[in-house]
Amino acid sequence: MAIIPNNHLTTNFEDKLKIGKYSFKSRLIVGTGKYPDFVTMQKAIELSGAEIITVAIRRIDFEQKENMLSFIDQDKYTLLPNTAGCFTAEDAVSTIRLSRELGIFKTDLVKLEVIGDPKTLYPDNEELLKAAKILVKEGFTVMPYIIDDPIVAKKLEDIGCPVVMPLASPIGSGLGIRNPYNLKIIKETVSIPVIVDAGVGTASDAAKTMELGVDGILMNTAIAGATDPLNMALAMNYAVKAGRLAFLSGRIPMKLYASASTQMEGIVF
Amino acid sequence: MLIYVNDKEINLNENLTITQLIDSLNLNIESTAAAVNKEIVPKAKYAEFILKDKDRLDLVTIAPGG
Repeated sequence: MAIIPNNHLTTNFEDKLKIGKYSFKSRLIVGTGKYPDFVTMQKAIELSGAEIITVAIRRIDFEQKENMLSFIDQDKYTLLPNTAGCFTAEDAVSTIRLSRELGIFKTDLVKLEVIGDPKTLYPDNEELLKAAKILVKEGFTVMPYIIDDPIVAKKLEDIGCPVVMPLASPIGSGLGIRNPYNLKIIKETVSIPVIVDAGVGTASDAAKTMELGVDGILMNTAIAGATDPLNMALAMNYAVKAGRLAFLSGRIPMKLYASASTQMEGIVF
Repeated sequence: MLIYVNDKEINLNENLTITQLIDSLNLNIESTAAAVNKEIVPKAKYAEFILKDKDRLDLVTIAPGG
């Protein structure tokens, strides 16, 4: 049984995630994959506090009796179609064009991933840049999934992507942040938001990621694959908020030696 | 005639449109997109697009994903 989110856990300032012409209160984006059923998915999404949720575009499964859409309140959530499983720019562009023909997406936001290798699921930068150029030209708000490479991030910004989404570690690996320094360099290199996509394993990973100063996190497996996805969704909700607040609050510098918290004046013995 | 819907062989009457096929499969046209022989067909054309023998039709919708 999940704990009810505390409504007091809100900040008293405007701190919105801006992606192109859109803005969101939540800095956590969640996927819809790997849940045991749609009811668990629906509850986990709600507890995560996310406003954007990713979905794939796939051939209709004639055996599937439940309609996934009926578990998603589209007045509450922004659906983000992805190009998961595409290995070429051509396939990724076709998938996005096909998603547009569905006529169910209320924004032009798309998550672009062009995979280069099935084992690591690392992106193919060349194909990714090619696809991004075409889709930006066609008017989509392109959110590209990238490796933690500042050069590719800059190229995508120059093409017209309003956000870049570098991985923390491979998709579904749960390894956490393998290279925090590169994420920091990406954040300094581009002037668009940076959303860390993939690799987060648990709440401390999410908090640490946000403490680096990135603008948001996209995750799926860390929640859906947890023993208790509902409470993990809530944990991630808190962790992203905690990490963001800690970043904005400015942490104390690290020192080798102690610095007493209690004043010495007035000491008796 | 024989057509392939998501790689599955289906025998159909001649002169069937995409709209008629979607209806006959009890699918929701609102959340379905179609490509014929890998060419995307705009939804506005479903009602007039007549399927031909050996056409390969892909019908897609949203699915779980990250």
